[in-house]
Amino acid sequence: MEESQVRKFQKDLNGGLVALVLLAVLAATQEDLYGYEIAKRLQKANEGEALFKEGTVYPVLRALSAAGLLTSRIVPSYSGPPRRYYRITEEGRIVLNQYREVWRQTRDFVDRFIEAGIHV
Amino acid sequence: MTPAAPRSIDAYLKQLRAALADQDPALIQDAAYDAEEYLRAEIAAHPDKSEADVLELIASTYGAPDEVAAAYRDTEAKVKAALHSPPVRPAVETPSLLRRFFSVYRDPRAYTSVFFMLLALATGIVYFVIAVVGISLSLGLSILVIGIPFFLAFIGMIRVISLGEGRLIEAMTGERMPRRPVHPGPKMGLWASSIAMLKDARTWTTLAYFILMLPLGIVYFVIAVVGLSVGLACTVAPAVGLLEATGLFDAHFTMEPAWLAAALPLGVLCCIGVVTLTTLMHAARAIGRAHARIAKRLLVTPG
Repeated sequence: MEESQVRKFQKDLNGGLVALVLLAVLAATQEDLYGYEIAKRLQKANEGEALFKEGTVYPVLRALSAAGLLTSRIVPSYSGPPRRYYRITEEGRIVLNQYREVWRQTRDFVDRFIEAGIHV
Repeated sequence: MTPAAPRSIDAYLKQLRAALADQDPALIQDAAYDAEEYLRAEIAAHPDKSEADVLELIASTYGAPDEVAAAYRDTEAKVKAALHSPPVRPAVETPSLLRRFFSVYRDPRAYTSVFFMLLALATGIVYFVIAVVGISLSLGLSILVIGIPFFLAFIGMIRVISLGEGRLIEAMTGERMPRRPVHPGPKMGLWASSIAMLKDARTWTTLAYFILMLPLGIVYFVIAVVGLSVGLACTVAPAVGLLEATGLFDAHFTMEPAWLAAALPLGVLCCIGVVTLTTLMHAARAIGRAHARIAKRLLVTPG
């Protein structure tokens, strides 16, 4: 019961955060990345319990690409099917900066209440 | 009751498909492609572990099938809302029959469908030739060593083309089509891959679609060309006739038979032209939708 409440809260939070993190990952690198590589980078940063499942990365990548925030190209692979490599667009960088600002404000706002709760 | 945790890629994909059963077949194909790509990469990255051992940890990394299905369902709803502009808001009062008849001109899908019908002759010929040449060369070469690689290359090519055809249909009619090809599955020998391709129902339905596109393309093209030329001619001719009658303009244009060159017959002719054009737009929209359903049944659903 409690467990499912926590999971639901995490899922609600992740709704927009996955997009923010993916944009940040792609903005921070010079090279183009494909789905599995991106998922692995997140996993490496994610010690212990994963905040979100790697399976949720793929549909969000596609959605960002459909919205024009990412471009993609297909490269044949020797070890399997062709891979789709993603790169952030100029528009994506602009949106990322806006997201970043929203995230900072949200975090500071929420922290104010949570920290206050701890001190009481 | 959740099903037992999958211990193989096939079992995982089966559970994922089952969890998405109520969704569009095109979405299911996309989700299965992403999952299979990840799972195969994960297994390739851990050569020391067995498939079952890797799959055991999948629920905590990639996510269990029902979690992944939920993510696709959510994203699909959002993308659909973002990509498709809301339908034109109908007028508050019930629109008159006449208004509804002419409202087709405000629907971009009607124009793209007419374009699709014109294009269908060209694509139909190309697909038909590829299918017939590919099948006959595959059969003819099957007794030689080169037969099997040729057959595999041919099937690979029609899969790529059918993905492209799906993208074209989605652009023209708005029907959701796959954004990923069919996953080729594990690496197998040439012989085993050929058997798998021959057993795959989708191979045959895709070939059927390629062959069917020629007659369909001819019919669509004829309807579009006849509708456009008759409709445009009947609409424009009276105007040109009137201009000529004023003497301002000479297009060396004569109305045959001569009794047509009077105000009333010309007015009637113009009405016939407008009705023909509008009917063509309605027909194109309906044909576009029907064709998208045929394409989905043959190119996406099996498999």
